[in-house]
Amino acid sequence: MKKLLSEFTKGIVKENPTFVLMLGLCPTLAVSVTVINGIGMGIAATFVLLSANIIISLLKNIIPARVRIPCFIVVIATFVTIVEMAMKAYSPALNRALGIYVPLIVVNCIVLGRAEAFAQKASVGRAILDGLGMGLGFTLALILICAIREFLGAGTLMNYSLIKGFEPARVFGMPSGALLVIGLLVGLFNVLKNRKG
Amino acid sequence: MKEMARYAAVLGTICLVASASLAVVNSLTRDKIIAQAQAEEEASLKEVMPAADHFEAVKKDTETLYYRALDKDGSLIGICFKAEAKGYSSTVQTVAGMFKDGTINAIKVVSQNETPGLGTKVTEPSFTDQFKGKKGLEEVQAITGATISSRAVIDSVAKKAEELKGILNAP
Repeated sequence: MKKLLSEFTKGIVKENPTFVLMLGLCPTLAVSVTVINGIGMGIAATFVLLSANIIISLLKNIIPARVRIPCFIVVIATFVTIVEMAMKAYSPALNRALGIYVPLIVVNCIVLGRAEAFAQKASVGRAILDGLGMGLGFTLALILICAIREFLGAGTLMNYSLIKGFEPARVFGMPSGALLVIGLLVGLFNVLKNRKG
Repeated sequence: MKEMARYAAVLGTICLVASASLAVVNSLTRDKIIAQAQAEEEASLKEVMPAADHFEAVKKDTETLYYRALDKDGSLIGICFKAEAKGYSSTVQTVAGMFKDGTINAIKVVSQNETPGLGTKVTEPSFTDQFKGKKGLEEVQAITGATISSRAVIDSVAKKAEELKGILNAP
């Protein structure tokens, strides 16, 4: 039981996809300008991650090892397209804000990485827990980066301005600011990890 | 050889199942997506030309050139159009309402992905309100620090307005 739980929680801190595994940084850098974007991207990626993990773990004995990558890509691409259509139909504003980064979940290395490194060897139950945990870890990491960047770069949080007369540091709204924030957070994660270990 | 055939069969089956499920989702969401796009379009037209009762799309082939804004009796008040230009980091799309005499009523930036806190200011009233009641757009002030995004809006609207004025004045 404890082992099962750790499949879920490992994605949040110990093997956090963004800060520890360093996967999926490209969409993270690009999308993390406002908290709303971060939440949307996180939910979309979690859905894809979870669905892809389930299907791939179910098919693990059928898919031959030599053609596994194209098989994984087809499965992942299908779910991404479903997410995109659903978003267009029910939340066009979010779809516009996330723009090109939704279709790019297809090549988000977190999804393929988890399929390759975990789901193709694990039972369905463990694959579900892994997908949820990794998705949650990715979402939380995104929200953290977004919150810092949105506050420092635009002076707002969730589009509400917090402090009157606060002159935002524009660089945090730009990709260079994203690199700075992510770098510092990764450093912080490492410090925390070493102290514990 | 036999192995090869098995690889192809597995991959082919997966692709088949995937495309079948996409077809189902597409048929479920297609109408909804079109309706959403239309509702959004309608709402932004209404915003830039509140005086109009309804709008009539003027099309060339399948492309919408502009909208005729009509009042309750169906007579022409003005036109609405969509202008777009490359901004700093995205294509900036603006919807504008123009009266018959060529005065801009209002504009609304409907789609952009510019730098947050700088380029995104083109969507704010402090910028868009400058267009109200203007015939020529030379006096519209670009936003400090967001010249490229501002120019994208000003120039694209001015260019399209100039083109359409010709159509309006023609009998």
